[in-house]
Amino acid sequence: MTILPDGRYVDDAPYETDTGAEARNAELDMSNSRLLWLRFKQHKLGLISALFLLVSYLSLPFAGFISPYTPNERLEDYLYAPPQLVRLFHDGEFVGPYVYGTTAEMDLESFSWKYIQDRETPMKLKFFCEGSEYKLSGFIPTKTHLFCAPEGATVFLLGSDRLGRDVFSRILYGAQLSLTVGLVGITVSFVIGIILGSIAGYFGGFLDWIINRVIEILRSLPELPLWLALSAAVPSHWGPVAVFFIISIILGILDWPGLARAVRSKFLSLREEEFVRAAEMMGAKPSRVIGKHLLPNFLSHLIASATLSIPAMILGETALSFLGLGLRAPAVSWGVMLNDAQNLASIEIYWWTAIPMLPIVIVVLAFNFFGDGLRDALDPNRS
Amino acid sequence: MFKKTLLAVSTALGVMASAVVAVEPIEGDFWLQEVNAGNLPPVSERMPSIPLVPDLKLRGRELGTPGGTLRTMVTRAKDVRQMVVYGYARLVGYNERYEIVPDILESLENENDIKFTLRLRPGHKWSDGNPFTSEDFRYWWEDVANNEMLSPAGPIDFLRVEGELPTVTFPDAHTVIYEWHKPNPVFLQKLAEARPPFIYRPSHFLKALHADYADEETLSEALYEARVRSWAALHNRSDNMYKFDNPDLPTLQPWMLATKDGKSRFLFVRNPYYHRVDPNGVQLPYIDVVEMQVVAPGLVAAKANAGEVDLQARGLDFKDTAILKKGENSGKYTTLLWGNGTASQIAIYPNLNYNDDLWRETMRDVRFRRALSLGINRKIINKGLYFGLAKQGGMTVLPVSPFYREKNSQAWADYDIEQANALLDDMGLTERDKEGTRLLPDGRPMWIVVETAGERQEVENALQIIIDNWKDLGIKLLMRPLERDILRNRVYSGETMAAVWFGWDNGIPHSYTSPDFVAPWQQEFFAWPKWGQYHQTSGDAGEPPDLAAAVRLNDLAHEWSQAYSTVDRAVIWQEMIDIHAENVFAIGLLNNAPQPVVVSNRLRNVPEKAIWAWSPGAHFGVYRVDEFFFDE
Repeated sequence: MTILPDGRYVDDAPYETDTGAEARNAELDMSNSRLLWLRFKQHKLGLISALFLLVSYLSLPFAGFISPYTPNERLEDYLYAPPQLVRLFHDGEFVGPYVYGTTAEMDLESFSWKYIQDRETPMKLKFFCEGSEYKLSGFIPTKTHLFCAPEGATVFLLGSDRLGRDVFSRILYGAQLSLTVGLVGITVSFVIGIILGSIAGYFGGFLDWIINRVIEILRSLPELPLWLALSAAVPSHWGPVAVFFIISIILGILDWPGLARAVRSKFLSLREEEFVRAAEMMGAKPSRVIGKHLLPNFLSHLIASATLSIPAMILGETALSFLGLGLRAPAVSWGVMLNDAQNLASIEIYWWTAIPMLPIVIVVLAFNFFGDGLRDALDPNRS
Repeated sequence: MFKKTLLAVSTALGVMASAVVAVEPIEGDFWLQEVNAGNLPPVSERMPSIPLVPDLKLRGRELGTPGGTLRTMVTRAKDVRQMVVYGYARLVGYNERYEIVPDILESLENENDIKFTLRLRPGHKWSDGNPFTSEDFRYWWEDVANNEMLSPAGPIDFLRVEGELPTVTFPDAHTVIYEWHKPNPVFLQKLAEARPPFIYRPSHFLKALHADYADEETLSEALYEARVRSWAALHNRSDNMYKFDNPDLPTLQPWMLATKDGKSRFLFVRNPYYHRVDPNGVQLPYIDVVEMQVVAPGLVAAKANAGEVDLQARGLDFKDTAILKKGENSGKYTTLLWGNGTASQIAIYPNLNYNDDLWRETMRDVRFRRALSLGINRKIINKGLYFGLAKQGGMTVLPVSPFYREKNSQAWADYDIEQANALLDDMGLTERDKEGTRLLPDGRPMWIVVETAGERQEVENALQIIIDNWKDLGIKLLMRPLERDILRNRVYSGETMAAVWFGWDNGIPHSYTSPDFVAPWQQEFFAWPKWGQYHQTSGDAGEPPDLAAAVRLNDLAHEWSQAYSTVDRAVIWQEMIDIHAENVFAIGLLNNAPQPVVVSNRLRNVPEKAIWAWSPGAHFGVYRVDEFFFDE
């Protein structure tokens, strides 16, 4: 200990860096996204869901490759064929993935189709084989499928429907529409909702008044009759997908008021905060204040509501198609498939035609868990 | 020839009836208490002195025992009127061979379709016990049909022969005579319809509501109570012989409504004054009570499967058959498969009045329609949708009709892609785009937009198959499901290129059937909405037919209404049917599709094989539900 001339005390021991401190408070130096990832990782269910959704969306362009058949390919001799099991061992010997051939029989007692398996000869599946032509990712025409049925047999992993179409393939193709079409509507409604909501909330006054009135008008429009009218007004030569696309965009345009209101109310309170004042005094333009200071404060809410709205949109597509207002055959979506299965016989006798329910349940749950995990990770006030 | 059989049958029935009348009618259990209490007269006084005695044995039916409740279902509350259809008590009605025989009438004399003498049964009474006489006919003719307040447009159309109204006379209490100067061949046929024009009314009941008869004070009181302005409105509201929703209105049907203001469950009890009796002397109907439940359309099959119904066909489709068969043991019923009576189960109508000039001309070319018809693989559609049980063929009449020809049914109905392509090439439609779709002369690709009502899954499934079929012709089919009313309006205004609907409702025409639905006289035939409008509005709207074949059909229909003999009318009918088959105005896919009919195992006398048709036949009506009975 030394006493300096001005009377202060200085420790003589050499300065030792606290080697543990950096490690202990590592997060202070981490980038925001890395922090997010670390926190998100702890939410196991959310993580699994995120992986599942990632795989699902990445496989969409390759639906044609993975599925053994094309969606509207009819096998006329295999109507309402039950799901087939892919087996590996035959008579205790390993033969690789194979199926049994089946033959259809009309049962005029019960008026249903009966399928008889030929248990003697295992028919091995073919891999990277030639099947019917499809377009990979929507533009590369090819005939190669990941696996296809052996000659003289079929491979219906989840059975076939009333016209002899493979349910498994149709579920994969259906995902292309069911998983994406909702996103369009969500995107439209989010862009409009955030822009108009923040303008209304931040500026207030006359703009706020106008936007509020528009919201009230839009909220009072009934949606179902609007859908009916729109689906009749679209030009008749448009394909069903185009029709649905347009309608989901229009729905998105009609759907933003809820979000805009939430954004507005949050902004009304946030704009009074000190840091907003500070930013304004330093000469930040409104766009910078909104984008850099206000929105990030609000992001967790936005992301949560987005991830929760996507399943609502998927369910909406399903519901509308089920009612016969959304997508219609020959377009393939999960809702269209369920619409086809809309009778008692489908559930009692041909239960596999109702299988498209499962992916809907799984995807909607996954989106909910994912949103949950994301919100937890984004929440700045988390302990 | 037909007329002779008619008269023969009527006299035969008369003889039979008088022979059996000696058998004393037996009082049933249902009304016994009321009779003993003195509220009802005994059965012998309730029935007409000459009741109708159907010969059940002759038709292979058993004589039954009265009693029991028949459960059935409908999908809308307003379908209580189905009981008028199923009950099928008509002045004259079809028998199972589709001949017209007297029913409520004791007999009928028909002089060359010009003069009809209707003879009522003496002692016949309404369900409230008041006599049913020619006064009820007179009341309708003079005070309802020719009353300006009640019928502003005058008497209904079927009574006009080229504008001329009949002279109607009522010589005595049991005779009514309708007479024209020219033949009116549809007169009897209309009276036998599923929805007949009732040319009689319970006058004793309705006079109380008619300004010409009622006491002014009581009437205005009734008006005030019912909250209506004019007596005509009140009269019309009470006078629902077909709607059958007024339990107070007396009826002649086998069952009468007993539920007032019902919403989801309606009860019908036996009419104590019904005019039919079985050879044992048991008054028909055998079944005491009919219980009609209103259920959602999707639930009909489920409820039938659970055994909650004794007789049901309405609301059931062939696709429900498997589920119905599965529940037979636990539900204690049998599923019968009847044939459907429409001319075609699924038919595509190319719109010959389509607004686009070039397309319209293309579709008017008979080669084009034939090619489309040849390009459809009906066998696969039949197998996939109807288990191969329907009959493949173009749109023509059903084999039961005297005008059926195998050649017509098979005309342009084989699956022959080569011939179809040859026809299209022959039309000069040889240019194709890079996808292989043929091009119209102005370079547009041949995309046919087929619009559907979006109600029947089998239509969509069939079109799905046709999409693949027509691809081989170089024609792209686009399916567009709409809503029933939107579809109709679009077709009528010529905005629809092609539409899908059933074939003719009446697949079993006879020479006396009016040919208005095969002539270009009805916009409801989707191939020529505007020609139909032209006829229906007497030239105010639409366009006159300008296609040779359609003009010929138009002329033939006029000739038919002026023809004097049955043979002439039959010849005209045959030619019209042949023209349709040759010209493929509507592309029929299948007919005689199986219609599942659920019948309780306890219910007897229901035919195993039959035709399920609205017109002629009134669904169950022609099979006489009043003769069905429960075997305990």
